[in-house]
Amino acid sequence: MAYKPKVGSTMSEPNVIPMADIMLVLLIIMMVITPMLQKGVSVDMAKVNNPVDMHAADKDNAILFSITRDGTIYFRTTKISLSQVTDKVKNEVKNRLNKIVFIKSDARAKYGDVVSVVDDVRAAGVEQIGLLTAKAEKPLTGAPSPGS
Amino acid sequence: MAMQVGGKKGAMSDPNIVPLIDVLLVLIIIFMAITPTTPKGLHAQVPLPAPPNQKQQQQLNTRTIVVQVAQDGSLKINQDPVTWTQLGPKLEAVFKERAPGDRVAFIKGDKNVQFDFVARAIDIMTSSGVEKVGLLTKKVEEGQ
Repeated sequence: MAYKPKVGSTMSEPNVIPMADIMLVLLIIMMVITPMLQKGVSVDMAKVNNPVDMHAADKDNAILFSITRDGTIYFRTTKISLSQVTDKVKNEVKNRLNKIVFIKSDARAKYGDVVSVVDDVRAAGVEQIGLLTAKAEKPLTGAPSPGS
Repeated sequence: MAMQVGGKKGAMSDPNIVPLIDVLLVLIIIFMAITPTTPKGLHAQVPLPAPPNQKQQQQLNTRTIVVQVAQDGSLKINQDPVTWTQLGPKLEAVFKERAPGDRVAFIKGDKNVQFDFVARAIDIMTSSGVEKVGLLTKKVEEGQ
């Protein structure tokens, strides 16, 4: 009888258990890292058509204020009152060339709250403001709908 | 017949984990896609108080463009009401005649309007030829 290789009986499927282990570890690492990468407080940002990239806002020493829907102000991740904004900015920009302050506001926050923060940032001598927004998936035209 | 649990040796020696790996791979891909999002935003300026230039600013006043967002979400360029769709073309018409570096416009919003509206207005302004968007605040208007 001629030699017949037994196909299918041995090594029918690779041993995937070590791979599954590695995948699980990778998954856990990513799940742990992802919330840490986010700067500031998580808010529902306004969506616009043509935002520009702001890599500077990603740096650890970026001056970032977050304004939530109810008007609470956060400096990076700590809650502060409006009266502390000017002092915080003054401290941070003391020896910096690139004076830019980032404001991450909730889409439904009152503009009055944003402007009062801008006013206090201005009082610290900062001219450049970066308003962080998200990019709209679909191009937006016409008037924004209230409450959306 | 009663159910046999772990009776015969060799049958079902290890569970089928291939679907598990599929799910994990998809999850990993999702997390990898989320992670590298760079922050995006709109640049804006606030005019700083400059006492010696006070007169110069007043001369510019007639040419200054101020976009206003009212509480109900309606728009005005200086004093003329415009719709959201007209804002872009109107600003383009004004700013294409101006020299680069002179393309400055200001935005003013009602304090009760949602930030969303103002962000959209700034977005339209920057995409229709305005190089610098100035935020008009209460203190700026008072000239402090």
